[in-house]
Amino acid sequence: MDLLLIVKAALALGAIGLIASVLLAAASRRFHVETDPRIERVLSVLPGANCGACGNPSCFSAAEALVEGTIPVTACTAGGQVVADAVAEALGVEKCEVAAIVSLRHCGGGAVAKRRYEYSGILSCAAVSRLAGGDLECPAGCFGYGDCLAACPFDAILLDARGLPVIDLDRCTGCEACVKACPRGRIGLLEMVPEDAPIAVRCNSHDRPKMRKAYCSMCCIACKKCEKACPSDAIHVVDLLAVVDYERCTGCGACVAVCPQQCIDLHGRAVAEPASELDGAGARAPEFEPAERRAAQGGDRS
Amino acid sequence: METLQHFALLLVGGALVNNILLTRFIGICPFFGVSGAMETSVGMAGAVVFVMTLATTATWVFWNVLLEPLGVGEFLYIPAFILVIAALVQFVEMYLRKMSPALYRSLGIFLPLITTNCAVLATATESVRPGFFTMGVEYTFGFGEALVYTLGVAIGFGIALISFAALRERLEVAPVPEAMKGTPMAFITAGLLSFGYVGLGGLFGL
Repeated sequence: MDLLLIVKAALALGAIGLIASVLLAAASRRFHVETDPRIERVLSVLPGANCGACGNPSCFSAAEALVEGTIPVTACTAGGQVVADAVAEALGVEKCEVAAIVSLRHCGGGAVAKRRYEYSGILSCAAVSRLAGGDLECPAGCFGYGDCLAACPFDAILLDARGLPVIDLDRCTGCEACVKACPRGRIGLLEMVPEDAPIAVRCNSHDRPKMRKAYCSMCCIACKKCEKACPSDAIHVVDLLAVVDYERCTGCGACVAVCPQQCIDLHGRAVAEPASELDGAGARAPEFEPAERRAAQGGDRS
Repeated sequence: METLQHFALLLVGGALVNNILLTRFIGICPFFGVSGAMETSVGMAGAVVFVMTLATTATWVFWNVLLEPLGVGEFLYIPAFILVIAALVQFVEMYLRKMSPALYRSLGIFLPLITTNCAVLATATESVRPGFFTMGVEYTFGFGEALVYTLGVAIGFGIALISFAALRERLEVAPVPEAMKGTPMAFITAGLLSFGYVGLGGLFGL
């Protein structure tokens, strides 16, 4: 009796399974949908990091949009020129040039910036910024707890010995993940700049220079020396803060030389000889991990 | 008239009095998962109505044609129903993709999400097994009753989900304390909403 029941159960379940499999096999033939083979081809040349910088939730939906033509072939900011060319080739359209962007940190404070209180909570900029506005006295500076590091899908950011995130321009793809993750990204602490932008101002505060100097020795003091030194009229003090006009800047370095605060750096992929190892992080930057990593890789840098 | 009233009671009983989400707490995962935005919850509600009705139709037939006559239904119903519903949803997905791309785009991504979802499975089970939905007496549904009851449950699911999504969209801009933002607030809202639905218990003597 029990044996019979087992056989019956097995038969019943087997029958259901058989019917279902036959039905599904038939259906997959009958209702086969031709997908555009170009989607696969485009997808294979995309970086696949699903960073979302192009405005699509994943590389797959970006590939669909690229095939449909709703976004331009240069839409993949992370992939830059290489991917844009590959996409154009896969789609059989004309190649176009990409204006690549990279991330730039407007702060040189780090360890020298004064803290209002001793923070011992979760090591996250987002967390500390919610605690009475953060432990930094500076209202616009970098906390240095590394939310941008964690957010970077390309492993292009590292904290240096000063407690500041340094952007490895070889790896930075301009996806903006760090800007979105940074609690002060919206007020310009991290900014996307053209990849050949040669000069970086390492300050983001608009407080009065006297106040600023009280809480951070590395700040811009709005002295306008850079403005006067610039031969191409490319740097101006706007709202008590030096701002570079990258359309005009030639990267001559005159402003870097005259800045009494050493608040301006050479920076960028196009700079032949950066002032320091990385990111134009400034001559003051001590040795830190990325430099060693690069040296191990053969020391190539751009 | 008698039957019409009976069917109407089944519909209301399934949709409101025994609301699957808010009085019985079955199918909570999609309830919190997709209720963040109105658009997705409408899509989800549509997919649930669709899949639940189909699933009950299929499982009712399998139960009465195969499982019950063999006497194996009593212990085999869960695997058998999962098999049937999963295969059916898979089939429907393929069919829609080919025949109605527009419908596929609006329902498509939700279909695999609710394949043998607990709410779907619970409703399919209740429709064939006695004692789950008693209305005073132990009771087994006929085909028509099962269908109407399932439709009621699915509509109840949709009403709860969509009204909850509307509330959550309002809450996005409400001055909620920082620590309570997001899921904690959603749980509290669901609890309050649930109070309202429990209050419908006993309506029409159901």
